[in-house]
Parts: sequence; structure tokens; C-alpha cells
Amino acid sequence: MMAEYLAALAAVLVAPFIGGVLMGVDRIVSARLQSRQGPPLFQPFYDILKLFAKRRMAANTFQMISVSVYLASMVLSLALLVMGQDLLVLLFILALGNIMLILGGFSVKSPYSQLGSQREVLVLLAYEPLLVCMVVGAYIMTGSFSAASVFGLDRPLALSMPAFVVTQALVMAMKLHKSPFDVSASHHAHQELVRGLYTEFSGPQMAVIELAHLYELVLLLGFIALFWHTNLAVGIALALACHGAVIILDNISARMTTRWMFGFTWSFGLALAAANLAALYATGPLPR
Amino acid sequence: MGLLEPLLRTSPLTLAAVLVLSPALFGLVVFGVRTKWSRKGVVTVAGWVLTLAAAAVFAIAFVGRAALTATLPADAAPWSLLVAGGDLALLAAILVIAVRFRSVKVLLAALVQLAVVLYAEFAGGHAAEAAPAVFIDWLSVVMVMIVSVIGSIIVVYGLPYMKEHERHLGIDEAGSHRPGFFLTMLVFLGAMNGLVIFDDLRWVFFFWEVTTLCSFLLIRHDATELANTNALRALWMNTLGGVGFAVAIALFGAHAQTYSVQALLRSPMGAAASVPIVAALACLMFAAFTKSAQMPFHSWLLGAMVAPTPVSALLHSSTMVKAGVYLLMRFAPAFHGTQLSNVLAIAGGFTFVATAFLAIGQTNAKKILAYSTISNLGLIIACTGLNRPLALAAAVMLLIFHALSKGLLFMACGVVEHGIHSRDIEDMQGLVNRMPLTTLIMVIGILSMLLPPFGVLIAKLAAIEASVHLPLAMGMLVIGSTLTVAFWTKWTGRLLTSEPGAVHPKIEHLHVMYFVPLVLLTVGAVAFSLAVFPLLTELVEPAVTQYYALVSGAAGGVDLSSDVLAVPWGLVFGFMAIAVAVPALLTRTRPDEEVGAYMCGEQIETPNGSGFITAAEQSCALSIRGHYFERYVGEETHALWMTVVAALLLAGMFGAVAIR
Repeated sequence: MMAEYLAALAAVLVAPFIGGVLMGVDRIVSARLQSRQGPPLFQPFYDILKLFAKRRMAANTFQMISVSVYLASMVLSLALLVMGQDLLVLLFILALGNIMLILGGFSVKSPYSQLGSQREVLVLLAYEPLLVCMVVGAYIMTGSFSAASVFGLDRPLALSMPAFVVTQALVMAMKLHKSPFDVSASHHAHQELVRGLYTEFSGPQMAVIELAHLYELVLLLGFIALFWHTNLAVGIALALACHGAVIILDNISARMTTRWMFGFTWSFGLALAAANLAALYATGPLPR
Repeated sequence: MGLLEPLLRTSPLTLAAVLVLSPALFGLVVFGVRTKWSRKGVVTVAGWVLTLAAAAVFAIAFVGRAALTATLPADAAPWSLLVAGGDLALLAAILVIAVRFRSVKVLLAALVQLAVVLYAEFAGGHAAEAAPAVFIDWLSVVMVMIVSVIGSIIVVYGLPYMKEHERHLGIDEAGSHRPGFFLTMLVFLGAMNGLVIFDDLRWVFFFWEVTTLCSFLLIRHDATELANTNALRALWMNTLGGVGFAVAIALFGAHAQTYSVQALLRSPMGAAASVPIVAALACLMFAAFTKSAQMPFHSWLLGAMVAPTPVSALLHSSTMVKAGVYLLMRFAPAFHGTQLSNVLAIAGGFTFVATAFLAIGQTNAKKILAYSTISNLGLIIACTGLNRPLALAAAVMLLIFHALSKGLLFMACGVVEHGIHSRDIEDMQGLVNRMPLTTLIMVIGILSMLLPPFGVLIAKLAAIEASVHLPLAMGMLVIGSTLTVAFWTKWTGRLLTSEPGAVHPKIEHLHVMYFVPLVLLTVGAVAFSLAVFPLLTELVEPAVTQYYALVSGAAGGVDLSSDVLAVPWGLVFGFMAIAVAVPALLTRTRPDEEVGAYMCGEQIETPNGSGFITAAEQSCALSIRGHYFERYVGEETHALWMTVVAALLLAGMFGAVAIR
């Protein structure tokens, strides 16, 4: 028990550094793909520090609560994953953070953040069933929703649930607001939504959000690494490969509409998930 | 203990009498003695009496650790004649209504029911005559507490609400309809209590029909054309459901020779039951679907929102619709292990998804709440159909948490409606600046329906965990839970949307009889969520154990261990509390830190608030609307085919009788 808590604490302390470096790599790779030099590797850290130092400007007090709960939910989700806790609960704690951020976006009467929030609700609707189906798949294999029981399997999940590696990569692209799924908020403010969902957050609030994003990235990679837990090196390589694919997808595709995103994930994504689940129900161990 | 001692020694019969009869007696006093103070006083006292009686029932069951049973003295009254007479009197009343309002549907449903009741009474039944018995196990205790405590809170809230309501309609004290209104509300509570504590199915049926009639009277209360239409729809659907109930009674009488629910549950059931018995169970399911407003019968509950808000709060949270799911949970051991049970899970799951989907397109707050109620009842029914200990535990938890949250949300909606004269959530935009206290309560109510660490979500997760063995139902629960998030989030977003510069709103004044009930339920929703584990071990687990003992025949506890429940919730609660409390308490936005919304550099101030410069150098006030995706989730497009599918599933339940 104590060891679990210590591991979770260590993960919570280390995660932002890993996430920051990966995000720095993302920015450099993206820049090179666009024939730019790109920022230094540690730019994400400089950004966060700079944002923390900015003067606080807020439209209302609720914004502060919203970003605080957002960060807390990311940290808590990561801790619960490392502790081997219930994955279903983890997903809903993750959703709690996203919903609070959406409410923060809704809380200002600004056309950009309102539209971004509306669309982020749809993004949430698009990826949430994929996440839950993945967890159900793990349940069929292990007879439990806990991450610890996945750790206990002697065969990597990726062999029995290959389709879910693909859906997890899709979820990652959607959660990181990467093209073609960057409908609710874009990484660049030069389009009609400005920064969408994030438009009305500034200074320290934005710093908290960016910090939460670092945790989110590590958490999403952790989900994928879970698919090859027997050899964590392979698991991490798989996760990084997915991340790389998402970065490349981001740079070679244009933004699509919410309607397209929704149709795509609920048809193609859910069909993949359902096919894999059907195969698991037919063959997998489903203990009574 | 000194004070509790007499309470604990109260006989079950006395308690039953208090729970069932005292509301009606208090109601008659309110009806007879028409002064302002007597009404307030008597209704409040009635609420206290009911609450105390419910507390006594809980205390006795808690200390005794067994079901409370008692049989009414057999020779004290002609019981059979009494209940048969009661049934016929109710049917006569419904027939009078049918003729008076020229409703063919009500007439047909009532006549068919009359035929079945007469057949069961005089031709069909071979069951041994027995005095009616009271049987209060943990499921009944939970129901009695929901009905008596939450119901009383709602009735007390009705006092200031109905006063304002009549003032709004221009009705003076002399012509007030309130005495009749509170009589009906209180009789309703008594009938609900009777429904859950009597063991004899004919008595349950009698109270079942009383709730049908009461709900008709309450929905019709404002006597507008729309109220009449919708009340009649509720009446014919529920009378039709009553037909199903009466057929079930006739079948049980003829083929099981008993009307005692407990005796029925102990007779060969499940896969061992004969076809007529399984058919009787399907008929009970049909009845429950009408009463719990499941698709295809959901339209009566949507129509019921024409009634004054206390009625909606009562129908949705603690009475009426809960009677249907109670009946199913009560009979769950009887259809354990049958195909019927699986079809029930899928039919409930379908209503859960379909109504959550339709709710996304709504802007009317009461309609969203209505769809959400139907949806949650579908989830409870799906749990009952899944028929595993964990699923039943989830169902009991949903029963409790849904009653708290939905009662709270309806009452808050009523306060808002009197404040802004609208129930459209578009008009609630920025309500946080106009009615901050009510908004806070409303937001807590909404979040308690969908977010961790509130109880509804924990129950939902347990339901998903219990559904894994029935993939189709599992898919429905997953999709439905996701859709639920959408409409609640969008509504909360409207409430919190605020103009910059209005961050220190003035807290509104609420009537004390609004304030106290609202705060009681808010505190209840939060406290029960925090205490979800004691609740589970002390209340839910005994209920499920008593149920499961009937299935396996084995005494002793059931295994409710689940990964969802094993999460260190203390850590989650604590962490989230800190995340909310730190910014809420420590950050104060100073006026010089407040900024307006970003408008891409074209922002101006107009007389109507913020605005921006349009292309032709014209100033234009900013207006914001929520998006409801009407084109994709509209009722016009989807309600019809969903109703057809639901009707087919209902037919499928009768089909499943043959294969058991």
C-alpha cells in the first residue's frame, strides 16, 4: 500500500518533466516538418514559467476553480493509474477535469470561448465511448477494471486488443487538440476560433492549464504503454510511436468540422472497438 | 436510548397506520379547516410525523437487523371486501372522469381493467383468503424514507410555491385551490407508503391505482386545456398499466394460489416457474413501464410538466415513477436467470440511451429534467434486469441519489421560474449574477447527477461493471452515460455564463420555506455522497442480501466487492475538495484585474453590454446562445422510431415468456 502511494507520488513529481520534454520534441519536429527551425527543447517549461509570472487577469473567480480542478483531475488520474486503481473511475475523474475546463470556457460571455466550449463538449462525446470500450476490453481479459490486474497478465494486451491501440491514438489526437480533430481549440491563434476553449484564460490560469496538459500527455502515453506492460521498454516505444504518428498526422492534415469528427469517431472508431470487443467476447477469458 | 426506547417498541402495525393513514387525515384537516396558518401548520406537522415514522421504521430495522412483519387482525374488518370495494371505487372514479372529459382511451382502459378485476375477484381466484400483512424489509425501508422524508420536504416547499403560483394566476384566498391540492399531495404520500409496505399484491394494486388517480388530479391542477389533455394521457397510460397489474394478480391467484409477494417469491421462480407465472411477471413489467414512464409510455411524464413545480418534484423524485421501479426490484428474484430478465435489461438500457439523446436537443429546463428522470429510471430498470448483486446495489443507490438530486433540481427550477418567469435555459444565461444562491444550489444538483465523487456516478460505474456479461446492455450504458454528460454540461454552461464586471453579485433573498427544503436536499445530496460507503454497507448491502437470499436460498451476506468501490475514495474526495477550496477561498479578483471578453480587438461598450464593431463600422451588441443540435437530435426526427423500437422491445418481453 505504502509502496503504491510512493510510486504515485514519484510519478506525479516526474511526469511534468517527461511531458515537457516530449512537448518540446513535438514542437521541434512540427517546426522541421514545416521547414522552420523551431523553439529550444525546453521551451514548454519556459512558457509555463513565463505565464506564471504574468499579472493575473480574470473575467470571474470561477475560472480559477475550473483550472484548479482540471489540474487536480489530471494529477489524480495519473496517480490512480500508477497505483493500479480502477480504470473506469479514472476515466470519469479525467472527464470531471475536462467538464470543469469546459465550464470555465462557458463562464465568460465571449464568442470564441463559448464556441470552443460547445465544440469541446462534442469532442468529449466523440472520444469518451472509445475510452470506456477500451477499459471494458481490459475487463474481459482480466475480469476486473483495475489497472493492477492488467499488470498481472502474462500476455500483453496489444496482442488481444490491437484495434484499441489505434483507437487510443485517435483519442490522443483528440485530447491533444491535434489536426484534424482541433475543432474546439487550436495550438495557434491565427484562425477563426482564436484559441477557442482557451481564449479567455490568461497568465497564471493558462500556466496551470499548460501544466495539466503535461500530465495529460504522460497519462495518455501511459494508457498506451499499458498495452505492453510485460516489457515496459516495448510499451514505451509503442506509446512514443503513437505520439509520433499523431504529430505527423497533425502536420499533414487540415482541420475538419465537428460533424466529420463526430461521424468519423462514432462510425470508424466505434466499429473498430466493437469488432475487437466482439472478438474478445468470443474468444477471450470472461470469468464468471 | 431513553428517548428511542418507546420508538423502537412501536409495533409495525402502528407505524404502518401512521405512514399510510396519517397523511390522508392531515390532508382532510387541511381541506376542512381553511385558514392560512392552519394550512402551513398542519402540512408542516404532517411532514414531521411522516419523517419521524420513517425514522422509527429505519431505527427498528437497523436495530433488529430483520424485516418488520405483522398481520392485521383477521376479524377486525372484512379485508377482502374492503380492498375489492376500494379497487371498484377507484375504477368508478376513473370511469366518471372518462365520461366527464369524453376520453375514449381512458374509458377503454378502465373498462378492460374493470373486467379483469371483476374476473379476478369473482371467477378466477383460488387463493386462500388471508388478512393483509405488512412486510417491511430493507428495500421497503429505503422506499419509505425516500417517500416520507423527501416527499415531505417537497410538500412543505409547495406551501410558498403554490401561494405565489395562485397570486401569479390571479386567484384570491377565497377561491384558492390549495386545500384540495395539499390533500391530494398528502394522500399521494400515504398511498406510496402503502404500496411499499404491504405484502398482499391486491393491496399493493389498490395503492398503485390511488397514485394513478392522484397523479391525474395533480397534473390537471391548473385546469387549462393543455393540463386536461396531458392529465388524461397520464391517466389512460397508467390505467392501461393497471390492466397489466390486474392480469398479473389474476394469474398469480389462479396458478400460484397466493397473493402474498413473499410467498410468491419463495415459490418456484426463475427458470423453474411455469409459463403463466412468467407471463404474470411480464405483465407486472408492463405495468411498471407505464408507471415509470419508460418508452414507449414516456410521453405522459413529459406532459406532466404542465403541473405546478412541486407536483413535478414529487412525481419525479420520490413518488409515482419510483413505484414502477420498486415493483421490478421487489420481483427481481422471481425473474432471476430468465431470458425475460435479459430483455428487461435491454429495454431499460434502450430508454436510458434514447431519452439521454433526446434531452440534448431541449432548451426547456423542466423537459430536460423529465428526460433525465426517464433516462435514470431506465438505468435502474436495466440494473434490475441485469439481476446481479452489484447491479441491484447500483439500483438501490440510484433510487436514493436520484430522488435527492432530482427533487432538488425541480425545486430549484421552480424558484428560478418564479424569479425570472421562464423555464427556458437560454433565459437562465448568466443566472449566476442574478440569483447566485439558487444557481449554486442548482449547479450542485446538476453536478451531483454526473460527476465524481457524487453518488449517482459511483452507482453508474457499478452498473457498467455489472453489465459486462450482457454486451448489448453494456454498450447502451456506456453510450447513455456519455450522452448524459452533454446536456448537463451545456445547461451548467448557460447558468455560469457571465458578463465581466459582474463578479460580485448580490445574494438573493429566498423565502424560508424555499430556503430550508433546498438546503436540506443539497446537504443531503452532498452528505450522502460523502458517506457513500457507510450507506452501502448499512443500507444497500442488507437490502441486496435480503433479495439475494431469495435467489440462492442461502442465508448470509453477498459479495459486493467491486473495483469501483475499492478505489481510495477518501483520497479522491480530499484532493478534489482542496482543488475547489484553494482557489475559491484564496483568490479574490480585484476590480483592476477584471477584464472583458476578447473580441479580436473590435470590442466596444454598447447600452446592452459588450459589443463589437461590424464590417460597416456599425456597433452591434453581443448576444450568445447555446447550441442544441436540433437538426441531429430533434424530437421530430427521432421520437417516433425510438417509440416503435421501445414498443417492439416491450413485445419482446412477452415473447421471452415462451422461452423463459
